[in-house]
Amino acid sequence: MSERFDEDDDRYSGSLDWTLWRRMVARARPYRSAVGQMVFAGLFVAAIDAVIPALTGLLVDEALEGAVNDAIWFYAGAYVLSFVLIGAAIVWFIMLAGRIATGVARDLRRDAFAQMQELSFSFFDRRPVGWLVSRLMGDVSKVAGLMPWFFLDVVWGGSVVVMSIAMMLWLDAALAAWVLCIVPALAWVSVIFQRRLLASSREVRRTNSRITSAYAESIAGVRTTRALHREDASLQEFQLESSAMYQHSVRRALQSALYLPLVVAIGSVGVGLALWQGGVRVGDDLSLGTLVAFMQYARLFYEPIRELAGRFSELQSAQAAAERIATLLDTEPEIRDSPEVLAAIQRATPDDGRALDGGDAQIESVHFDGVSFSYVDNEPVLRDVDFTVRAGQTVALVGPTGGGKSTIVSLLARFYDPGGGAVRLNGVDHRQRSLHWLQSNLGVVLQSPHLFSGTIAENIRYGRLDATDAEVQAAASRVGAHAMIEAMAAGYATAVGEGGGKLSTGQRQLISLARAVLADPQIFIMDEATSSLDTETEAQVQAGIDAALEGRIAFVIAHRLSTIRNADQILVIVGGRIVERGTHDELLAAGGHYAELHTQSNAAGTVGAAVREAHPA
Amino acid sequence: MFSTLRELARLMHGARLHYSLAIVSLVVASCFLYLAPLVPQAVLDVVLAQDGAEPSAVSRGVAQLMGGPEFVARRLWLPALLLVALTVVAGAFTYVRERLAEVATERIVLQLRDRLLDRLQRLPTPFHDDAESGDLVQRCTSDVDTVRLFLGGQVVEFGRTAAMLFVPLPLMLAVDTRMTLASVVLVPAIIGFSLFFFGRVHRAYLRSDESEATLTANVQENISGIRVVRAFARQAFERSRFGRNNDDYRDADYRVYVVAGWFWGVSDFMCFAQQAAVLVTGIVFLAQGTLSVGALFFFVTAVSMFTFPMRQLGRIVSDFGKATVALERIRRILDTEPEQEPANPEVFPDAGGVSFDDVTFAYGDADPVLRNVSFDVPAGATLAIVGPPGSGKSTIVALLLRMYEANAGTISIGGTDITSVTRRDLRQRVGVVHQEAFLFSKPLLDNLKMGRPGATVTEVHDATGVACVHEAIEEFEHGYATKVGERGVTLSGGQRQRVAIARTLLEQPEVLVLDDALSAVDTRTEAGILGGLREQHQQTTTIVIAHRLSTLAIADQVVVLDGGRVVQHGSPDELSQVAGPYARIVQRQSGWTEAGREEMTS
Repeated sequence: MSERFDEDDDRYSGSLDWTLWRRMVARARPYRSAVGQMVFAGLFVAAIDAVIPALTGLLVDEALEGAVNDAIWFYAGAYVLSFVLIGAAIVWFIMLAGRIATGVARDLRRDAFAQMQELSFSFFDRRPVGWLVSRLMGDVSKVAGLMPWFFLDVVWGGSVVVMSIAMMLWLDAALAAWVLCIVPALAWVSVIFQRRLLASSREVRRTNSRITSAYAESIAGVRTTRALHREDASLQEFQLESSAMYQHSVRRALQSALYLPLVVAIGSVGVGLALWQGGVRVGDDLSLGTLVAFMQYARLFYEPIRELAGRFSELQSAQAAAERIATLLDTEPEIRDSPEVLAAIQRATPDDGRALDGGDAQIESVHFDGVSFSYVDNEPVLRDVDFTVRAGQTVALVGPTGGGKSTIVSLLARFYDPGGGAVRLNGVDHRQRSLHWLQSNLGVVLQSPHLFSGTIAENIRYGRLDATDAEVQAAASRVGAHAMIEAMAAGYATAVGEGGGKLSTGQRQLISLARAVLADPQIFIMDEATSSLDTETEAQVQAGIDAALEGRIAFVIAHRLSTIRNADQILVIVGGRIVERGTHDELLAAGGHYAELHTQSNAAGTVGAAVREAHPA
Repeated sequence: MFSTLRELARLMHGARLHYSLAIVSLVVASCFLYLAPLVPQAVLDVVLAQDGAEPSAVSRGVAQLMGGPEFVARRLWLPALLLVALTVVAGAFTYVRERLAEVATERIVLQLRDRLLDRLQRLPTPFHDDAESGDLVQRCTSDVDTVRLFLGGQVVEFGRTAAMLFVPLPLMLAVDTRMTLASVVLVPAIIGFSLFFFGRVHRAYLRSDESEATLTANVQENISGIRVVRAFARQAFERSRFGRNNDDYRDADYRVYVVAGWFWGVSDFMCFAQQAAVLVTGIVFLAQGTLSVGALFFFVTAVSMFTFPMRQLGRIVSDFGKATVALERIRRILDTEPEQEPANPEVFPDAGGVSFDDVTFAYGDADPVLRNVSFDVPAGATLAIVGPPGSGKSTIVALLLRMYEANAGTISIGGTDITSVTRRDLRQRVGVVHQEAFLFSKPLLDNLKMGRPGATVTEVHDATGVACVHEAIEEFEHGYATKVGERGVTLSGGQRQRVAIARTLLEQPEVLVLDDALSAVDTRTEAGILGGLREQHQQTTTIVIAHRLSTLAIADQVVVLDGGRVVQHGSPDELSQVAGPYARIVQRQSGWTEAGREEMTS
């Protein structure tokens, strides 16, 4: 897996992937009437664009007749009419383009977001948040924003070119041949420059995304940077990126600065050729009016060629974005309801006291049945873990960091599926139960609890969306958070900041505990959920949760033994295996790992003194 | 507004010569672009016209320059070549203009970017507390880009629009006064319309930007909190919230298209109408025999050259509006005063204890978080701080690093008030490991060496050894070269904490602060780390915020905080003898007897 997600990995593909683009274009299907109208508007504008020079030529020839006759006024009227029509068509197709671009973007975002809600954690584990956000925002805007203009320019630009050439051929084939001499040169220059522009724009984007993450990181890590007083060093690192950005941007600017005048110069060759070759024939078989019309056509038809070349290279540069969106939409969630479960949900009758999938509503027991698991192949994290917890019981998981304690609760919550064995609820493999049902019966509190920006009340209410203010406060009181919250200036209306950043870890732990209690789950999972609380507060929390969990199941991971002493069952997990199991007293009596841990903790005071003596200051 | 203009002028100050030359090149290029159509005009009038009106003086002059009508008539390739040559020269000057303007702009932006990063790192902590990180990043990236687009494109473009309009005027007047009048009759209306309408486009843009920002924040939060979303099975709720924001953004974005559609449609119509006015007037004069075909061709071309750029005025004004908004947002960062250093900083004595003397502190206008906190930690001693959430523990650390200024009282190290030394000096002496360790997305070795850039491999290994993380690092596939992902996602919480401890130890601080930095580490490892610290860093004054008795008991003194006040202070042994919060901690964590439990619950 050499996939990297930390920078914009949009790569240059020389050719367009038409299958991919057909798929993207298919996203415009709901807006097909808008697309149809836009194609029509584009053709219409192109037709008028192509007619105007001919009209001019006719006018000139009429005028040279020497008198202001009705024909002149007729042509003048036709002129004004064309402008009104062009103006109206422009308003029309820009609005249509807006309907398509914003609509397709909305749909893509909706589908991609919905997809993200179902994807497994293994997907998120490997991709930084910022990377995913720019897929959903930047990539989608890029692809959807391009779509209508591509339709329009292909239609409009293509028709202007075709119609201009047709008009010239119709007016005078020989002269047309001269003017069209410049087409190969124009095409060649466009291809060369667009290719270079594409490459240098890619460099600019890459550097730009590195600069963006440099800013993001320096903001997120500002306290650390200061504590390490390395402001100057990090500025110097940044300057490497910003100078690279300078070089790439200037290169790109110079390339495009050269391209435009070149196209105009080649275009003027066309006008010059018309003047020379046409001028020679004026008075013989060419009218002055036709010559004027020709010179206008020569100016008219190279502009769309340039536009089209630009659109195609935009398409190429957006290809990587389109691929990433397609990949996101195609990624199968590894964990989801099986067809059997979906069928059971269909069959189930509501309000019969059963769960939504027709299974047991009450969880009487959780049985880890010989469960093994690995995040990466051949590096097992859990091996043959087997234990049973019954309603009303608390199981505590103890052991060194990295032993697999958190993995056990992740498997219970079906954040991942076991590699071997099964997790059984009332004897039924939990993969045969509805994922939604399972997860809505869990109350999970993690060590670094995540809060959403908003108020404290809103965050607690996330546990049960229809909870009243009184219920929110009751949940907070239960975990001993009420007094702490009330002590804040705005109380429950206090804004917690992005990710809860305005609160300390301990405060966040209390709020997320209240959130979990409010959810009234059948299974309560606390993964180091009280590690940043002082012993006193933790004891309150414990008492509150014990009361809330009357008759339910709790999983507790903790390093502080006071937290787990009263558990019905203590599992000591080392190296992915259960090495000891039993109650506090049983394990103490056994004199193994747990007893050793306990001695350390139990005699902490004396150990502290011993450490001080052994290593005198 | 005016201060923003001044800021814009200040940004452009060093590049004035570049911009002036760019405008000059552009004017020259425009002149050549206008001269070019004179060539076909002369050919049509003087050389090819068999009858009709008397050719204009300009046409005759141009024809004369080329060698006279007779001469040109036999060599029509000559005017064709001249036409191409004039266009090429105009192109060359256009290139020069782009080059000058772009180089100047990119240089300005380069400085702006560096200044922003530098300033962000030095802004007072309260600024960062109140700012949203996504919003700050946006100011530094897309707002800078908006300013860049304006500087690189529109500053010179404004010069061009003016030049395009004013350069041909004398030429046009020389050719035909009546036609000149017809050529500019709609110009005031076009400009007025552009200015008026682009104001509305601009407002629609702002609206759309805002709803885009809301949507981005929504996605960002959802993904960072995805575990919470799943744990509570809130997918449906999240989808509908996102759906609302998504629809809002679509509507706001569509509004931009609608307003822009009207703008381009109507202004295109006006530009075409201006051209039609010229053409029809010209045709009438042509029919009357008072205007030559060549002159008509000249006017038609000239009008199409300046009407469309004229329409750009609206865009320039709107981009200017956007650039001022962006610049104002950037200035929120640049104009915030960075942390001030004392004018004549004192120098710390070589070693010393930490003392808080009657320190009171409140965040902003809120209630005080610390009230009259006093304690003394002698050099080389260890102080443990314990207390419930929100009691002010981390605030003590922040004040010690001078992330905030105390409202009252003095904090000193070795007897020197920390406000009388530079922050750099202070932070060099005080090493802090935060509760949630932040690692940068670099290889582990680079992260560690941030503590001391010149550290040798042995020194690094010593530090990771004391922090009990050396073995864990060696077990990684790439060892010390393992790259840490965004916010160090590939490491467990405990590993991150230990890497951060090692990083701080490398700094060789005189005062070491562990702000609940061992909470994710198991008891045995914790004992190892504390023992190692004790052994190898005897001279270091240490402040530990912790909850585990095993950590508290190791300290020389313990401060118990509650509600921002020191409620107990003494050695662990003393405190365990007296009834109070510390004794209760001891009882709960070590002597968890039924009797103790009753005592606590009663």
